Amino acid sequence: MGGRETYLWRIVVTGACFVLFGLGGLVLGLLVLPMLLLLPGDAARRRTRTRSLVQRSFRLFVAVMSGLGGIRYSFEGRERLGRPGQLIIANHPTLVDVVFIVAFTPAPACVVKAALFANPFTRRVVTAAGYTSNFPTDLMIEQAVAALRAGDCLVMFPEGTRTRPGQPLQFHRGVASIAVQAAAALTPIYIRVDQPLLHKFQPWYRVPPRPPRLEFVVGEDIDLEPYRRAPPPRASRELNAWLLSHYEAKLGQAAGYNPVR
Amino acid sequence: MQTKEEVTEQVRAALVELFEIDPDRITPEARLNEDLEIDSIDAVDLLDRLRRQTGRKISAESFRSVRTVGDLVDAVCTLVQA
Repeated sequence: MGGRETYLWRIVVTGACFVLFGLGGLVLGLLVLPMLLLLPGDAARRRTRTRSLVQRSFRLFVAVMSGLGGIRYSFEGRERLGRPGQLIIANHPTLVDVVFIVAFTPAPACVVKAALFANPFTRRVVTAAGYTSNFPTDLMIEQAVAALRAGDCLVMFPEGTRTRPGQPLQFHRGVASIAVQAAAALTPIYIRVDQPLLHKFQPWYRVPPRPPRLEFVVGEDIDLEPYRRAPPPRASRELNAWLLSHYEAKLGQAAGYNPVR
Repeated sequence: MQTKEEVTEQVRAALVELFEIDPDRITPEARLNEDLEIDSIDAVDLLDRLRRQTGRKISAESFRSVRTVGDLVDAVCTLVQA
């Protein structure tokens, strides 16, 4: 199908997906989680079950989004995701990036923005899943390090927020610091989108002219050993600078990723 | 029990080794953020190092009000002398 014929339909699908996401968060938080908590097991088991529940829900959400024709996608290399102590990083062009990554990673932990712990649609789920808040920075780093050392697989976006189209890519050093301190493996995901989609300054109803296509590629692990020989402040600066240039090289500006206007 | 002089020496050593700061710039009045360019992420590395050095559990909260090298020395003193 082309762009014109599906344009209005895709606005409807996008709106419906937002509603579904909100309702899904409420239903999980108010109905499913309380039932999960009745099952036997300690706090860690419960957290794992919640993460698993989020993963399955996101997998379903991805199926709905693509099944209704709102989005097309490919996801390459998922077998390399979900190892103990693995830190998964990705660039962040669209609102739905984390939905895909979580959907294809076995029961991952995430660092999520602090506002989700206050949002009535999401707060029960992110709390029960034991996700880490991105604020304040020092606590985020401590908790993320503890999660990785405990063997969690953790998803983070070094940009800290969605990419600002037309502006240079920026990475926050906190992710590099966490990686140097505690990651058993550092695995990059490169996300490319063929046209602006649910980016930072794009209202939800402004859907792309053609059906958008998202591409996720899981890259090779990044060797952290060289960085671990330097004092941590220098190591995290060097790793952060390397990651930034690595992502710039991998993504380029051709894929509509960060178009300069 | 460590004296304030010993703590000062530990803090100086940590700043020099971690951040490769010229020792002459480390005065009690030097502001960690503005003068020595230590940001919130560096502060985590610094606390981690001081924790290992002193063997004390240093919470991030107890250092929220630290602005200068002098503040930092005082905060560590309070902990190790407690």
